[in-house]
Amino acid sequence: MKLSKIIDGCRLEKIVFCTDCKIENGYCGDLMSDVMAHAEPECIWITIQAHKNSIAVALIKDIKSILFTNNVTVEKEVIKKAEEEKVNLLRTDKDSFTICGEIYCMMEAKTAKD
Amino acid sequence: MSANYTKEKLTLVNELIYEIKVKEAMSRRVIFFKENATFREIQLKLKKKKISGVPILDNVKNIIGIVSIDDVITALDKGYVDNKITDYMSRDVITIPQNVSVVSAIHKLGRFGVGRLPVTESSDSKRIVGVITLSDILNRLLVVVQSIAEKVEDKEIKNTQISHDLIKHMVKKRLRFEVKGDDFDHAGRVASITKKYFQNLGISKDIIRRIAIVCYEAEMNICLHSLGGSMTIQVNGDNNMIIYAHDKGPGIPDVKLALKPGFTTASEKIRALGFGAGMGLPNIERYADKLEIKSSLETGTELKAIINLGVKNEIK
Repeated sequence: MKLSKIIDGCRLEKIVFCTDCKIENGYCGDLMSDVMAHAEPECIWITIQAHKNSIAVALIKDIKSILFTNNVTVEKEVIKKAEEEKVNLLRTDKDSFTICGEIYCMMEAKTAKD
Repeated sequence: MSANYTKEKLTLVNELIYEIKVKEAMSRRVIFFKENATFREIQLKLKKKKISGVPILDNVKNIIGIVSIDDVITALDKGYVDNKITDYMSRDVITIPQNVSVVSAIHKLGRFGVGRLPVTESSDSKRIVGVITLSDILNRLLVVVQSIAEKVEDKEIKNTQISHDLIKHMVKKRLRFEVKGDDFDHAGRVASITKKYFQNLGISKDIIRRIAIVCYEAEMNICLHSLGGSMTIQVNGDNNMIIYAHDKGPGIPDVKLALKPGFTTASEKIRALGFGAGMGLPNIERYADKLEIKSSLETGTELKAIINLGVKNEIK
């Protein structure tokens, strides 16, 4: 599923949007080591950790899209780094549980249709 | 959409029919008759060989006419089937020179509605060197397309091949990084550079992933828990990748306990950033093929993680 579809469907705020990549799966986690160990490449990563290290983890894991939940503040330097490294940054005021559910349903519906 | 698709996909074939010469596609074994043959003889030959016409050649293989299955039927119909062909055959023969591209042959076959064209030695010669039909052209096309496909395949194999030269270079030259303590802004740098470096070697993605995880966790450990240190990345002669992480202290009092998932000494500040979950060392242990930790409260911690690159040594 295209990232833009998820953005429109879940009304996500685009902080940095560089590539409308294809999203096959997602991972939700706030512990860096956990994300390092378990997230799939090219997934959408749902987290409340909006700092520079999140971008570093995304880069190492080939994650192209990060979705920040609970409307967390995203510092300017994080945005700058994401722009430099071509990582999509999105935000929602919903909590991780709710938005994961919404995205999961969208992706399941898409898979069922295919 | 689908029309465009077909058009696009046929570009190669279009190119090829201009490139392939008639002489490459034609059959060289020509069934022919001389002027003194009868329609009956030709009819039997056409039936036996399942062909639709034969050229009539003179003693030096110059073409003087052609007899098609239609001519034979006419002869049967009009009752001169046992006569010699000389007076009846068509002398107005359509031929094609051997050095033109098959696209001309295709056009000629279509324009004159014939199934086969006798091939002449050159455009100003009448000497016959072969015969060409649509199926000859198709056969040749398939052979050429097949050989192109094989070349592409070879190239792909070469591209994904492991760069033994780069690995040899890595054996000689190690990567060394300084890692500062408490420097969150640059954390992940070693893992990121190392990952890119190893991606150039063409080794499997799964091994790259493991290298990245082990590097990252070792780097984060120095950054989060120590006064700073250094990391060295090396490849040895057995194609093992070795990650050394060395810090200046304060050392781990109980290494066995530190390896337990969930055990952590991290501060609240570190944990709020999503680190210090007690998963760093367990992650390293899980993703490295071998892990050694030596720690002393006086000199700090030395970590050595080994990951096999999954590469067989090149046959020398």
